[in-house]
Parts: sequence; C-alpha cells; structure tokens
Amino acid sequence: MMLEVRGLAKAFGALTVIDDVSVTVSGGQALGVMGPNGAGKSTFFDLLTGITPADAGQVCLNGTDLSRLSTEARVRHGLVRAFQIPKPFATLTVREHLILAATAGAGLDRKAALREADNVLERTGLTGLAAQTGGSLRLLDRKRLELAKTLATRPRVILLDEISGGLTEGEVHALVDLIHSLKSPDLVILWIEHIAHALSATCDRIMMLHLGRKVIEDTPDKVTSDARVRELYLGAVPHA
Amino acid sequence: MIAIDILINGLLLGGLYALFGLGLSLIFGVMKITNIAHGEFAIGGAYLVVTAVLFLGVPLWVAVPVALLVAFGIGFALQLVLINRVLGDDPMPALLTTFGLSIVIQNLLVEVFGADNRALDIGLLATSGISVGGFSIGVFPVIMFTIAIGLFACLHWMLNRSKTGRNVRATSDDPEIVVMMGVDRARVFAMIMGLSAALAALAGILLAMRGSITPFSGAERLLIAFEVIVIGGLGSIWGSLAGGLVLGLVHVIALRLDPSSGPLYGHLLLLLILLARPEGLAGKVHSR
Repeated sequence: MMLEVRGLAKAFGALTVIDDVSVTVSGGQALGVMGPNGAGKSTFFDLLTGITPADAGQVCLNGTDLSRLSTEARVRHGLVRAFQIPKPFATLTVREHLILAATAGAGLDRKAALREADNVLERTGLTGLAAQTGGSLRLLDRKRLELAKTLATRPRVILLDEISGGLTEGEVHALVDLIHSLKSPDLVILWIEHIAHALSATCDRIMMLHLGRKVIEDTPDKVTSDARVRELYLGAVPHA
Repeated sequence: MIAIDILINGLLLGGLYALFGLGLSLIFGVMKITNIAHGEFAIGGAYLVVTAVLFLGVPLWVAVPVALLVAFGIGFALQLVLINRVLGDDPMPALLTTFGLSIVIQNLLVEVFGADNRALDIGLLATSGISVGGFSIGVFPVIMFTIAIGLFACLHWMLNRSKTGRNVRATSDDPEIVVMMGVDRARVFAMIMGLSAALAALAGILLAMRGSITPFSGAERLLIAFEVIVIGGLGSIWGSLAGGLVLGLVHVIALRLDPSSGPLYGHLLLLLILLARPEGLAGKVHSR
C-alpha cells in the first residue's frame, strides 16, 4: 500500500491555502499532520478526499490516480476520512451505520456486510450500543462510531481529523491504543492532531504545515526538536 | 347511517389523496425541496396510458405497468441530467427548475392532446358496488384504497429493511456525510425522483379512471399533494397517509353539507393545522 501526493495546490481567490504539498506514506505507517490554525491541515484533507477540488497536483493510491474521481468513488477505492466533529446519522442505528459503510464503501454484499458490521462493533467496543440510533449517542461513543464507520468501509487510507478533540486524557490514551492496533501493512494512516504527544506516540513521521506549505517532514523526535517548528508552533509550550 | 357512509367514502377518497402526497413527501424528506411539477408528473402519467390505450390499442393492464416504468425512467433521468445540477444550500434554483418543468409538461400535453377532457374507461368496474351491512361501497374506490395502503406498506418496508432504503434514510439524515461513506448520492436522488414520478403517475392514472383529466388538472393535484404532506407533517411517510385520509374525509363531509364548497374546507383545514400544529400531524422526517 502506498499513498503518493504530488504537488497538491489550492487557492481560494487570491489566498493560497495549500501550496505545492507533496508527501509519500507507505502501508503500515502513520503520518502525523501538524500546524498552527490556518495552516491548511483540514483543507489538505478536503483535497485528498476530493470534497474540495484541487487546482493542481495528484493523489495516487498504489499507482492509481484518484485525482479526477468523485469523493464517493475515492471512498470505494479505500480513501476515507473520520471527522473532528462526529456526524452520525440521527435515525440510523449504530449497526446500520456500519452495514451502510460496508455495503456502500467496501462494496460487500448483504451477508458479508452483516459479518463485517459485527466484527467492527466488536473491535471498537460498540457491540452493546448496536441497536441505538446515532442521534442518541454521547460524545465518546460518537467518536468511536466515527472511527468504526471508517473501518467498516475497509479502508486503505484513513484520514483522522483531530479525532481526540473534546476527550479526557484517559480517553485520548484509549484512542491512541486503538489507532496503534489498526496499523497494518495494508493501511496508511494520516492524522491531524493538536496534541503533540499523541502524534509522537503513534506516528512514524510528522509533517508540519504552515501557511499551506510543508515546512518539515521527519521523525517525531526531529520534528519536535526542530528550531523552526518550536518557533512556529511549540513556541507557546516550551519543553513540551 | 349517513355518517358511516360518509366516513367510508371519505377514507376511500383519502387513499387516493395520500398517494398524491406520498411522492412529494419522499422528495421533500430526502432532498429537502418540493417538486412543483408533481401534479404534471401525475397527469402526464395518465396521458401516457391514454396514449397507449386510445391511440395504440394496448390493453389497459399492459399499459399501466409500462407507463409506471416510463414515469420512473423519466423522473430518474430528469434528476440526473437536470435537477441534480441545481441542488445546493439554496432550494430556490431547484424550485424554479421544477416550476419550469411543470409549465413545459403542461404545454406539451395541450399541444399533443388538446384541452379536452380525457378519461380511462374501466368498464363495469367503475360502477359496480358491493353491499356490506346495508351500505353500498364502490368496488373501484376500495381497489384504489387497497393499492394506496399497499404502497405505503411497501415503501415502509423498503425504507427500513433494504439496502436502498438505508442509503435513502442516511441521505435524508445528512446528505454531506453519505458521500464520505461511498454512497453515490446523485443516484440515490435520481432513484427517489423516479420513484416519486411513478407514484405520482399511478395516482394520476387512478384519477383518470375515477373521473376525467385535462392537461390543466396538474395544478389542482399539486395543491392536494401539498395539503396532504403539510397536514401530515413534511417528509413523514405515515404522516402523508394520515394527511390524505383526513383531507379526503373533510372533502366528502364538506361536499355533503355544502355541495358548492369545492375544496374550500380542505384549505380551511390546512390553515387550521398550520395555526395549531405547524409541524403537521406527524411532524418528523422519517418513517418510524
């Protein structure tokens, strides 16, 4: 598995939000994406999923160019995103969410989708809530469902968008463990997060964006000790 | 005795009204827009059968299913090539597009068929009745009513049990997020528009069998469909059934008490409901 992003660019009018960003992540690896507010992190994900069309650049998965495909077609190729603010379907049950993801996203037939749904429920600890509707879940369970949904699409690339926001310290640890357990040679993980230690613990490399440009991409140790990064981002938290 | 007679006839007429509302309700529930051409879809469907039966000599029982399939196809195609392009945060472009469609279809019908009354002859079925406990009930209204209830049940099953239904409900809940789960939203919308067009066409066909139609009958049908879904609760499938039955009852009662009132009391009921319960009788956007 190999995700290659080449020369991705996007401007809204005169404002350049993503400026010639290239990065390659291979299966089994997790890439952390950091940057101050307005660095273009979320736009970067929007361009990868295709929900915002890119001005230039390519997104290739295992050599297949996804750049011209619709968002739903990219999902079916295995490129899926979990949102910062979980957005469950209010009237669907938790199990139905996963069946939907397994049929529409992974293209499984009815029987296989049911099995996949139960499997993912088990893995994400949602089995007890399977019959509840999305609208009735509390925050942590919504976050779990958000992750479970992406898993049930049988992803090859997962984009995690600040999924630890709003969680307690203990819950963040549980989440980091869960994401660690997902790592496999068949899966590429990209993770936007503000909490530096959560990224350092999980990610093999960290990419730092600033004003839409890639400032540095290296191992977590090197990135967090980099002078530019400290000045830009960690400056506010010395010795973090 | 008369009261029971009125009750039965009102409910039977209400079944047809509910059918007019059902397609419109589906569209609103899933796409959050209204289809101004809904009445023309209904009347156009009836004219498809008129064409097949009167001009091509196709038997009625063949013409009806074919017309429903054609209506589905037309609705599906219109959504894919036209209406999907104008859907967005602002409902106005879609509203105006369907308004334009209604004018185009109406003029097309006048051009091809003229402005005369047309009816579909169903022979003895139109007049035959059965006697139940001293009441004479028309066979055809009972058939209409049964078809309507059956379709509501089918739709309910489809929405809650099938894969397509799951996609439809998810799209209705959040049209942005379904795309992120690999659902082809454009296709879901097209399916719903096709289904809505076929349901409208069936209602139009039944109307032409029960009485007569002209190319201008669409507007009045749209109005009834609107009243049905507003009374029942926008976007609620079972609300549409309730809305249709209530409106049918009111029309029949009003015509008995005040034969020259026309649809007046139906409109008054709508006003009353809007004042007392603006969210309608059911007032929730799904089928549970």
